[in-house]
Amino acid sequence: MSGALGLGERAYDLVLRQATVIIFAIVLLYFGFQAPLFLGPENLGNIVKQSAFIGIAAIGITFVLLTRGIDLSVGSVMYLAPLIAGFAMREYEGSVALGLMVAIGAGAVLGAINAFFIVALGILPFIVTLASLFAFRGFGAYLTSSRQFDFAPALREFGLSSVAGIPIPIIVFALVALAAHLVLRHTLFGKQVYAFGNDPEGAVKAGIPVPRIQTAVYIISGAAAGLSGFVLIAQIGRIDAGFGEGREFDVIAAAVLGGASLFGGVGTALGAVIGATLIQTVSTGLAFTGVNLYLQPILQAGIIFFAVLIDSLRQHRQKLRRRRSIRPIAT
Amino acid sequence: MSDTVLELASITKEWFGVPAVSDLTLTVPRGNVVGIIGENGAGKSTLMNVIGGVTPPTRGTMRLKGEPYAPGAPRDATRSGIAFIHQELNLFTNLSITDNIFITEYPRRFGMVDHRAAMTQTQALLDRLDIRHAPETMVEDLAPGERQLVEIAKALHRDADVIIFDEPTTSLTPRETARLFDVIERLREDGRSILYISHILSDVRRLCDKVAVLRDGRLVDEGAIGDFDIARMIRAMIGRELSSLFPDRSNLPSGQVMVQVDGISQPGVVADISFQIAAGEVLGLFGLMGAGRSELARILFGLDPAEKGSLSIDGREVRGAAMQRIRDGIAFVTENRRSEGLLMDAPISENISLATIGHIGRGPVGLLDREAEQALAEQARSDLSIRASDLTRQPVRALSGGNQQKVVIAKWLAASPKLFIIDEPTRGVDVGAKYEIYALVDRLAAEGNAVLFISSELEELIGMCDRIMVMNRGEITATFDPRETEPRFEREALLAAAFGEIVT
Amino acid sequence: MRRGYLDRAGTILLSDYFVLYLSLAYVAVLIPFLPVLSTPANLSNVLSNMWPLLVVAIGQTFVLTIAGIDLSQGSVAGLTSILIAILIATAAPEQVLGHTPVWGWLLSEAGGPLAGVSFGTWIGVGIVLAIAACIGFANGLAVAVLRMPAFMVTLVGLIALSAFAIWLTQSNNIRNLPDDFIALGKGTLVSLFFGEQYQAQLPRREVHAFVTWPMIVALSVAVAAHILLSHTVFGRRMMAIGLNREAAEISGVPVRRIIVMVFVISALCAAIGGLLYTGRLETGRPTLGGGNFLLDVIGATIIGGTSLFGGKAKILWTVWGVLFFVLLGNTLNLMNLSAFHIDMVKGGVILAAAFLDVSRQRLRRSRT
Repeated sequence: MSGALGLGERAYDLVLRQATVIIFAIVLLYFGFQAPLFLGPENLGNIVKQSAFIGIAAIGITFVLLTRGIDLSVGSVMYLAPLIAGFAMREYEGSVALGLMVAIGAGAVLGAINAFFIVALGILPFIVTLASLFAFRGFGAYLTSSRQFDFAPALREFGLSSVAGIPIPIIVFALVALAAHLVLRHTLFGKQVYAFGNDPEGAVKAGIPVPRIQTAVYIISGAAAGLSGFVLIAQIGRIDAGFGEGREFDVIAAAVLGGASLFGGVGTALGAVIGATLIQTVSTGLAFTGVNLYLQPILQAGIIFFAVLIDSLRQHRQKLRRRRSIRPIAT
Repeated sequence: MSDTVLELASITKEWFGVPAVSDLTLTVPRGNVVGIIGENGAGKSTLMNVIGGVTPPTRGTMRLKGEPYAPGAPRDATRSGIAFIHQELNLFTNLSITDNIFITEYPRRFGMVDHRAAMTQTQALLDRLDIRHAPETMVEDLAPGERQLVEIAKALHRDADVIIFDEPTTSLTPRETARLFDVIERLREDGRSILYISHILSDVRRLCDKVAVLRDGRLVDEGAIGDFDIARMIRAMIGRELSSLFPDRSNLPSGQVMVQVDGISQPGVVADISFQIAAGEVLGLFGLMGAGRSELARILFGLDPAEKGSLSIDGREVRGAAMQRIRDGIAFVTENRRSEGLLMDAPISENISLATIGHIGRGPVGLLDREAEQALAEQARSDLSIRASDLTRQPVRALSGGNQQKVVIAKWLAASPKLFIIDEPTRGVDVGAKYEIYALVDRLAAEGNAVLFISSELEELIGMCDRIMVMNRGEITATFDPRETEPRFEREALLAAAFGEIVT
Repeated sequence: MRRGYLDRAGTILLSDYFVLYLSLAYVAVLIPFLPVLSTPANLSNVLSNMWPLLVVAIGQTFVLTIAGIDLSQGSVAGLTSILIAILIATAAPEQVLGHTPVWGWLLSEAGGPLAGVSFGTWIGVGIVLAIAACIGFANGLAVAVLRMPAFMVTLVGLIALSAFAIWLTQSNNIRNLPDDFIALGKGTLVSLFFGEQYQAQLPRREVHAFVTWPMIVALSVAVAAHILLSHTVFGRRMMAIGLNREAAEISGVPVRRIIVMVFVISALCAAIGGLLYTGRLETGRPTLGGGNFLLDVIGATIIGGTSLFGGKAKILWTVWGVLFFVLLGNTLNLMNLSAFHIDMVKGGVILAAAFLDVSRQRLRRSRT
C-alpha cells in the first residue's frame, strides 16, 4: 500500500509524524543562531532542569489521557501535596526523604479521591477534577490561611544539590520518565491502560480489571503532580497560595505536544518529556533573546496550536488513507 | 462417541418478570457446529449472554463437560473454556496481535512482561490459522477478516471447548467468509463445539450439523441439518408460512432517464463511474466489502470530493455539499444507521423533521412550527406504519431496528427526493421487518423515483432490482440487465464480476 | 401511597425548575440563621453578581450544546475589558502606562482615541464586540474546518489572549472610564421601569428597585438565547450536531457554519460579560477573566444540568445554575467564610451536581 505513495507524500507523512521533534530542532537552531550561548551545555542543562517541574506532572497525566480521562486538579495537587509534606517535615522534624515520601503519598491520596468519584460514582473525570481543583486549593489555603509557607533550609540544600554533577531535579525527572516508560511498555498494567483507552467497553468485555486501571491512573497522576510540586519547591524553599495555579493547562499542553491524544489510547512517557522540554526551551529561548516577558505565553500557545493542528491533520490523513486504499493510484 | 459438551436444562431468563428465554433445553455435542437462528428479539442474545456469564439465568441449570456450570462473570466463562466472538470484535486496534491475545494474562519474567515468549506462542497460533502477519503487527493494520481470525486465535489460545460466533460474516468479504468457514471446519475436526448465530440461512445450512430455532424465547424447532431446508427454518422462525421473501415489484421502470452519472473519478477511490437510472427503476449495486460502493454513494451525495465527473437529475446538474444536494432531490439512507442515520437520543419526530427542518422554520429567525413538525411525524407513522408509542417523546433508541430504519426513510420521504441512495438497508433487521423494507423500496420506485440499492446480500438485490451493477476495486466491472439476458440474474456471473481479478 | 411520594419527588428532580427549587430551599433553610440574606441590599448584591456571569454562562451553554467547550471565554472577557478601556478612557497617567505598547498611538494623557467623541462609548463597544466576534470566528474555524479538538483550540486561546491582554498594558489596570460606560455596568433604571407591563414579566415584588442596566442586558441576552436554542431551526440544528455530528451532516445540517457561529456567540457573550464587569469595577482590567472565573462559568452551567456530552441544554437551566452558584458564594461570604472555604464548597457543589445528574439520567431511563 505504502509503495504506491509518491515520494512527496511520504515526506509529508514523515513531517506529520515527527512534527514535535522537527519543531524542537527548528527552535533549537533558531535560538542557537540568535544567541550561540543558548546551545551551551550549561544552558541546555538548565532547560532540562527547569522542565522537570511540568515534565514530571505531564508524565503522570499521560496515563490519565491514555484512558480518555482528564485531570484538571494537577495544579492544585502540586500546591497541596508538597504543603502537606511541609507540615509533616515541620511536625516531625523529619528529613527531606520523609517530605519526599509524604509529598508523593499525599498526591496519591488526592488522586485516589478523584478516582473514587470517577470510578465508584461514575461521574465524568472533567467534572470531578474541576471540582477537586477548587477543593484541593481551598484546603491548602485553609491550612496556611493563604499565607506563604517556608520550608526547612535543608530542603533547599537538597533541591539545589547534584549527584555526579547532575542536578537533583534532572535525576528525579529521568527516574520518573524511565519508570513510566517501563510501566507503559513492559508491564501488563501498561498494556491494559492502552487497551482501555482504545475501547473502554471492549476492555470490560475482555475481562480487564477496568476499575483498578482507572483508579491507578488517577493515583499515578496525583502522585506525579505531588512529586513535581515538591521538586520545584525544593529549589525555591517556600510555597505561596498561588503556587501551581493554572499549571494544569501547561501540563496537559506538554503531554499533548508530546503526542498524547485527548481521545485516549495514544501517548508515551518519552513524548511527555519531549513536550515539556520543548515548552521550556521556547520560554528560556525567549527570555534569552529578550522578548517581553508578557509575550512569551503567546509564542508558546502558538507552538501548542501548531502541534495540535498537525495531530488533527495526521488523523484526517489516516482516515483518508483508509478510504483511498480501494484502488492503486496510477502514477 | 459423540459425547455432550454443553447441556442447558430448562433455562429461563426473565427481565422484570417478562421472560426473554423460557424453559429452554438444549444439548451441544462435542465437535458439532450448532446453528442458532431466530428473529431479532427471539432471545438469541439473552441465551448467549447466559452461556457467556454476562447474566445469570432466573431458573434452570447448565452443565459443561459433565460438571455443573454457573458462571458469575464473563471471566468465569472464559476460564471454563467458553469463548465468545461478538459481532463487534473485541480487539484493541492500538496494540499488536500478541498484546491482544495476551491482554489479560501475559507471560512474565522479572516482574515484567516477557515479550519474546508471548511472540513465540502467538506465532504458533497464527501458523495454525494460516495468518500471514508477524505477531507484532498492529491490529489497526489488519483487514476485518484478519481481525476476526485474531479473535479466533485468542479463543484457541485459551483452549476453548465451546466457541460462540455471533453474526461473524456481516463485515466479511465472500473470500474472507470462505476462509472463516474453513477455520470453523478445522475447529470442528479438532473436537471443539461451535454455536453459530446468523441471519444468513444459507450459511447455516452449509456449515452446521444441527439447527436450533428460537422464537419468543422458546426453542420451537430443533434437528439435524439434513432435515432442515431453508423453508422450514423460516417457517419456524416467524411461526407462519412466508410465501416469498420479497414482494413482487409493482411497476416497470419508465423509459425516461432520471439520473445521469458521467465519469466520476477520485484518485485512489473510484474511477470513471458512469451509469443511468430511469424513473421508477431500482438499480442494484453489488460488490465486495471495500469495493468502493459506499465511497461512491458518499461522493454522489456530496460528502466526499470527486476530482472529475458529474451527476444530473432530470437533466439538471447537481453539485455542492450534501445540504445543496438534498435540495436538488437526493436522499441517502446510510449503511450505518446508528452512527450516521439517526440522533439516537432525540425523539422520533425530531429525527423525521431533521432533513427538512429548514421548511419548518417561520419568520426571519426561523421559529419552529411544532404543529407542522408533529403533523409530519404523524403522517410518517401512519404512512410507514412505524410502531412507536409517543412520537414527540420516545427516543429513537427505544425502537426496534426495523422501525429505526423506517424513521430514517421517513426523514428522507419528507424531503420528497427523486433519487434514493440506499446502502445496506436491511443489515441487522429481522426477517419480518426486512420484508417491510423491501415493500418500501418497491413503493419508492412505483412512485416514480430512482433508487440506487447498495448491498452485499446478493439475494435481496436479485429479488428487488431491475438491473444490477457490479463494482470491483473502484470500477464498475459489469452491469446485468435481465431484460437482455435470460434467466433473470445469474448468480455465478455476478459473483465473478465482483471478484474481478480471479476470473480474468 | 409511598410510591406516590417517590413519584412526585422524581418529577421534581426531573423538572426544568429543579435547580431553582434547590436555590429557594437553600435560601429558606439559611434565612433563620442568616437574616441578612433577605435584606434588599443583599438581594440586590446577589442579583448584580449574577448578571455578568449569566451572560458568559449562556455563551458556554451554546458551546456545550454542540459538544464543544470554550476555555477562552475568560481571556476574551479580560481582553475586552482592557481594549474598551484603552479606547474610551478619558485620561491616563503617563507614569503608570507610559511604557506600555499602546502608549502614544492609542492611549495618551488625554485618554483613548474615542474619549470625548460623541457616541464614543458605543462606537468603542461596537469595536470590541467585533474583535470578540473575530476571535470566536477563529476558534470556530479551527474546530469546524481544521477539525481540531475544541478543548485544545480554546486552551491555546486562553493562554495566548490573556497573555496578549496583559502585554497590552504591561499588567496595569486602566481607570478614568466615562460615566455613560460605567452606567452600563451599574446604572439603575428605576425611572425607566415603573410600568405595569414589566412586572408581569419579572415576577419579583421588589423588582423595580433592582432593575439595572446589566439586568436588562443579561435578561435580553437570556430571552434571545432561549428563543434561539429552544424555538428555532438554528437551535434544533445545534442540538443535532451535539447528539451526532455525522448524522447531522448527512441530514443536511450546515455543520461547519453552525459550529463557527456558536463559537462567535460564545465569544460575544464573554465580551458582553466582560463589558458589564468592567463597568461595574470602573476599571479596565486585563486579568478580569483570570483565576477561577472560567471554572465559575463552567461550574454554574453544569450545575444547571447542561450536559458536557452535547445535545442536552436549556437556557433556563443555566439561569438557575448561575443563580444557585451566586447565592452559594454570597451566603458563604455572609457566613464570614474565607475565599478558600468558598472554593472548597464550590468544588463540593459541582461534584454533587454531577452526581445528581448521573442519578437523574438513571431515573429518566427507568421511566421510559
